[in-house]
Formats: sequence, structure tokens, C-alpha cells
Amino acid sequence: MRKLFVLATIAALSVSVMAGCSKNNNEPSKAANNPSNTAAHNKPEETPAAKPAKFSISMRTLNVPYVEQNPDINKDKYVLALEKMTNTDLDIRLIPHNEYQDKMIQMFATNDIPDVVQGSGGISGQELAGAVQNGVFLPLNDLLEQYGQNLLKLLPKEAWDRLTDAKTGNIYGIPEVLSNPSRRATWIRTDLLEKAGKQIPTTVEETIDVLRAFKELGVEHPYMGRKNFKYADTFFGSYDVFGYLNQFKLFPDGQVKPSFFDADAMKKAIGTYKTMFDEGLISKEFATIESADFKSIVTSGKAGMWSMNANELPIWGTQLMTNVPGAKVALIPSPVGDDGKGGYAYYNPVTRSYFINVNAKDKAAEIVKFFDWMVSEQAELFFSYGIEGEDYQNDGGTIAYTPPTDEAGTNKQRFLNYWLWMVQDTTYNKRIAELSEPGKQMVDAFDNLLTKEGRGGIEFDPRLEALVKYPDLSPLSDQLPPLVLEHVLKMVYGKESIDSYDKVLEEYLSKGGKELIEEATARYNSKENAFE
Amino acid sequence: MFGFMWKYRTLYLISIPGILYFLVFKYLPLLGSVIAFQNYNLFAGFSGSPWVGLEHFNRMFQHYDFLRILRNTLMLGALDILIAFTAPIILALLLNEVRLVLYKKIVQTVVYAPHFLSWVIVSGIFTGMLSPSSGIVNVILGWFGVEPIYFLGENSYIRTILVGSGLWRDVGWGTIIYLAALTGINPELYEASEIDGAGRWKQTIKITIPSLLPVITVLFLLKIGDFMDYGFERVFVFQNPLNITNSEILDTYIYKAGLKQMQYSYATAIGLFKSVVGLFLLVIANTLSRKATGESLY
Repeated sequence: MRKLFVLATIAALSVSVMAGCSKNNNEPSKAANNPSNTAAHNKPEETPAAKPAKFSISMRTLNVPYVEQNPDINKDKYVLALEKMTNTDLDIRLIPHNEYQDKMIQMFATNDIPDVVQGSGGISGQELAGAVQNGVFLPLNDLLEQYGQNLLKLLPKEAWDRLTDAKTGNIYGIPEVLSNPSRRATWIRTDLLEKAGKQIPTTVEETIDVLRAFKELGVEHPYMGRKNFKYADTFFGSYDVFGYLNQFKLFPDGQVKPSFFDADAMKKAIGTYKTMFDEGLISKEFATIESADFKSIVTSGKAGMWSMNANELPIWGTQLMTNVPGAKVALIPSPVGDDGKGGYAYYNPVTRSYFINVNAKDKAAEIVKFFDWMVSEQAELFFSYGIEGEDYQNDGGTIAYTPPTDEAGTNKQRFLNYWLWMVQDTTYNKRIAELSEPGKQMVDAFDNLLTKEGRGGIEFDPRLEALVKYPDLSPLSDQLPPLVLEHVLKMVYGKESIDSYDKVLEEYLSKGGKELIEEATARYNSKENAFE
Repeated sequence: MFGFMWKYRTLYLISIPGILYFLVFKYLPLLGSVIAFQNYNLFAGFSGSPWVGLEHFNRMFQHYDFLRILRNTLMLGALDILIAFTAPIILALLLNEVRLVLYKKIVQTVVYAPHFLSWVIVSGIFTGMLSPSSGIVNVILGWFGVEPIYFLGENSYIRTILVGSGLWRDVGWGTIIYLAALTGINPELYEASEIDGAGRWKQTIKITIPSLLPVITVLFLLKIGDFMDYGFERVFVFQNPLNITNSEILDTYIYKAGLKQMQYSYATAIGLFKSVVGLFLLVIANTLSRKATGESLY
């Protein structure tokens, strides 16, 4: 009895020690010994009867409900159908949307790296933690040349550039692209506009005028504000002073600086927000309005004008019209500033990217072929509609498909269109958008309105070292750097005078900004991983 | 020595899992602190990363806002001890005086409950209550003719809000240990004092508080060790650029400068600094307490 007890204790102890120490180091070796590797040695013109190529892939869930609520995504019927069509055997490892960066870094730190890793942009993204530079991934040039001709042909050069190490010319990843980088739009309630008897405004002044009219009509939030000006930066765009990560500008003095260094334009932008704040055209508490509040205020009809991604039009528009009968909403050209232009900060042309582990060298050819298939017509039909004969009928080219209206159906649609379709132009799904009225409006907005607006600048990838060193000076993709943001908000809230903005710039320079600008200018001049 | 161990081998055997737990999960990870003296590279590991000595500590002390952040951290730590540590004691004493058992149970449950809410929810509740347009606080202030105040947009209110929200969330939870200690006081003491003619107030001062003192001391010492660990989440959820001057503490700065920018070595250096200060305070407080009251952790 005693012996049994001792044995049991020892067993329990060894398990606990293993649990504490295990770092999953065995994972890559397991993958390397995988018997299915032999399949990768086969010739490319192999018959479909060949053994499916087996590989693991990590993917961010992206808040897609269909994925997050799925008990086992690898047994999902659409994933199985995809495997059948591509003769693969996927092992999808989900990475929770909100802990993406942490989990990715954990994955690299414990060396538990799947055969394919999904990143979210270029080769120096923070989520990759420098993995490309440390030789974790395979250069794909030859493989793409051999097996990925369709990818090379169909995806734009700007996207490939982001996945290429400029020094060696090595391509490290396969991009999913955004052909139209202008993604956010200005939305307005056209029914309120009519009620106020106003025209669609074009300039900043006209826009303020319309907002005042909205206020008189009793609209609670004439312009919808949000914390840190996120999705509420319309007027910084009018004056081209975003200063975000991709908004560096070459100034007349030959230096490359964040665009908010144009002090006169910046003062005008801040002044616009101050006017709106003073007159109650923007909520007095916009500095604490979070994204969930933002959405509920807009879709419950309490806002007159706001900024949101244009591809949300079918969804937000429908919700708004359900909540407020008679509400009408349209995407309009963003208010223009002194240069006659406006719009929001451009998005990165690469939305998701796929990197292949050096340890998966044997199956890399199969993996590239898998992604190459993603841009085929068969893939387009499958990812737009679903499984033929079940979700849609294809009668010799005429497609019969009814877009879903219930939540489960729209969730499934979103999953197929944007999540499982790994490589495509993700601006919008043309085939689905054509089926509904708001969808057509959205396509129209993207093709005819958003292509004409938006603000771009110089972007450095990998980012400037000074930005890492001085986090207070580091902007986000859609937020001013903390140091500037703090002062700008205080100016809008009347705690500091707008004229003191020059002092803010001086403070910026003294707290590391000088170093930052020198580095930016040098890198721009030497064209070292600087994108325009 | 070994003979002694052999004699009580079962006891030693039983203690092994606990000892191993601390070794594996608490002491081994401590070794990871070496990255504070390196430029840690995820792929090169401990052995491959270059050593940089005290560079990260230098960088921390030279940061232009270091003093302000440190002051905020200390201020919040001090307020926390002053208010959030004493409040549960007072509440426990008050609850102890409640004679109606049902009422006491209800009150206890009500004050415990918020402890189980996450900080994100707590911040949502407080943001709503303190809203200048619709919050109940400003509505009530409005009855007295006070203009709406944007509490979360003011540097001057943020500390009160942080301490207040923590108090609301955790005061009930903090009473548990004290209430347990209160039930352990020998009722004969009270009976004897009643015969001597002591009222409830006298009894509290002369019997209840002295009996609680050992528990209070131990909890106080534990709390002192965490002096610099006010907590990341509870501050982060209330932060915005309008109140950042007073709400930025070391924990939130570590998150922003270290983790978000992936400066692991830098973040570890700041964390290590925090821990060392905490340890230092703990040793001082423990020594003082041992000398003054005879109560101590070790």
C-alpha cells in the first residue's frame, strides 16, 4: 500500500514537473517525421489520387463568429470541402483575435511554429517578432516561379514589395491584398440632410454648417466622436495632418517628418474640432466613447455624420434602418481642406500574409500550389457562394444563389468570403455585393468615391528604431502619437490654447523627435525599406 | 538530521509537491529576469542574446517622465494602503456588530459580489455613472446646481476614481479574513468585560482590535510587498489622454513601452526594479514590525 502511494506521488510529481518545464520543443521534429512529407516529393503534375499534402497553419480568428463559435474548425464541412478540392489535409490552429500578438510571440518563443504562419502585413510586422530576419521562414522566390505563377501574375507589385527583403530580394510570404487602400468613408444620414434642407457638404466649412443644422434638428451627436479620434479623424484628413505610421511627409526643408509637423494646417484641424466641441456638435465626452458605444449610438440613429469602413455599409445600414424607420444613409466624399482633398489614412496594401516554415521545406511546393489555387475561378465560386449543389446551383454558367438574411447565414457568408479565402483582393466580394442594393451602393462607393480620396505618405517597414525607443512618439496605424494626442485633446477641451501647438512640436523634438526625424530622413534618402 | 527526516518521511513526502510547485513555477521563472541585463532576442534565447549590463536601467532612470510615473505609482500605492487596506477592517468590525443574522448575510453578499466583476466591466459601470451627460453622479450634482463635470477627463479626479472603484470592487472581499478571525475570538473575553461593565465601544477597542492585530499585521506586510504593484488592468481601463498625467504608473508604462513595442528586456528591467523596491519595503516593514509588535512574516 505504501509502495503504491510512493509510486503515485512520484508519477504525479513527474507530470507536474513536465507541465512546468515543457516548451513543446517536440513539435517541429514531429512535423519533420511526418510520413505525409513524402507526398511533397512528388512531381507537380501528380494525379489527384495522390496522398493529400498535410500541413499545419496558424490563423487569426479575426472576430469572425463562425470561426470562434465552431467546435472544431478542422472538421467544418467547408474546410473539408476545401481540402478535397486542393488535395490537402489542413491542421488549422486558431489564434484568438484579441490576443493575437501575445500568442504569436509565445508561439515563436516556445518554437512551436506551424508549417504556415499567417501574419498581418509585411515581413517586419510586430506579430512576427523578427522571425523573418532570424531565418525562421523560407525564401519563396524559386517556389513561386515554379508553382505560383497565378499568384505572381494576379497580385500587385506593391503587395509583393511588402513581403520582400529589399536587401536580398528574397520574397518571404504570400500576400492577401487590398487593391483599394482607401477603406474608410464619411457616412451621413441623408434623411436628416433633407429634413434640414441642406446639400451634401464638400468643404470643412459647409460640413460644420450641416452639423449645426443637425444640432438644431435635435440630433444628439451631429458628428460622432470617439476615444483618441479613432474613426473620428475626418478633419485631420481634410488638412492632411494625420501623422500616423504611414503618414510621414517630405517637407520643403528636405526633412522627412510626420505630417502633423505642418503646424498651420494642424492648428486649423484642431480649431475645427474645438469649434465642434464648443458648439456641442461633437459629444462633450468623446474622449471616453469606446467602439461599442460608437456603434450603438450610430445604429440607434443618434448620430448625423460619422466615419466607418465602407464595407460595413450593408450591415450597419440595415441595422440602422431596422432601428430607425425612415432613416437613410449614404457614403459621401469626405470634407476637403485647403488643398481640395480629403479622406482617411490609407490602409496597408497587404491585409494578411502567409509565411512557410523552413522546417516544412519538403512540403513547401504543395503549400505554394495550395495558395496558387486560391486565385482560381473554382476558388472564387467556392468562397463566394459555398458548396455547389448545396449552397448554390450552377446551371452552365448561370448561378442561382440566394444571399442569406439570418444571422447564422450571414456569419457563414462572412467566414467564406473573408476568412477561409486566404488569398484574394479583399476590398469587397464582388459576386455577393452585386446581389443586394446596399451592396451595389458599397461597390459604387469604393469604385467611384473612395478611389478619389484618402491620404497617403511615407511608411517605414521595419519601423524606425526611434519609434521603438520613444514609445510616446510612436503613432498607431490610426492614432496620433501619445505625446501629441494628449496636447491636441487638451486643446479641444479648452485646457490649452491652440496657439501653443508650436510648443508641442518643440517638446516632440526635444523628447527624441529630432533623432526620429534624422533617422527617417536618412532612411528615406537611402530608400531603405521606405514605402510611399 | 537524515534520521529525523526518515522518521517523519511521510510528512516530508507530502510536502514535496508543494516545494516542487514553488521551485518549478515560482523560482525557476525568476531566472528569466536575467534578460533585464541583455538585449533579449526571442530566437537567440538566453544564451545567444548579447549582454548589456545596466543599460536598460539607465534608460529607465533617464526617461524624461520617469519621476512623474514613479510618483504616480507611489501615490496610488500609498492611497491604496491608507484607504483600501483600512476599509475592509472597518467594514468587518461594523458587520460584526450587526445583530440581525439575515441582514448581515445579505449585506455581506452584496459587498462581496463586485469582486467577481472584471475591471473592464467595472470601468464600464463607472464611466457610465460618471458621464457628464447621462451619469447619475452628475444628475445628482445637477440638483444642487453644479455644472456637469467630466470626471474621467480631468487629471485631478482620476486618483479618486481609481481608488474608489477599487474600494467598491474589493472591500467586501477583503473582509472575509477579518470576519473569520473575528469568529475566533474567545467569547469569554466579552463576557468577562461585560461583567466589568464595558460597553460595545470599549469592547471593540480593548478586545476586538487587539485580537485582530496579528492578522492585520500579516496582511499589512503582505500588502507592503505589493506596494508598487497597483495593477495594470484596473488603471489601463480608466486611462485616456486627458487624465494620463496622473494615471500613468509603472505597470501601464511597462505595457506601453515594453510589451507593445516588444522591448522585453526593458520591460523586465522596470519590472525587476519594481520587485526590488517591493522586497526592500517588505524587509524594512517586517523588521520594524518584529521589533515593535513581535508579529512578523518570518
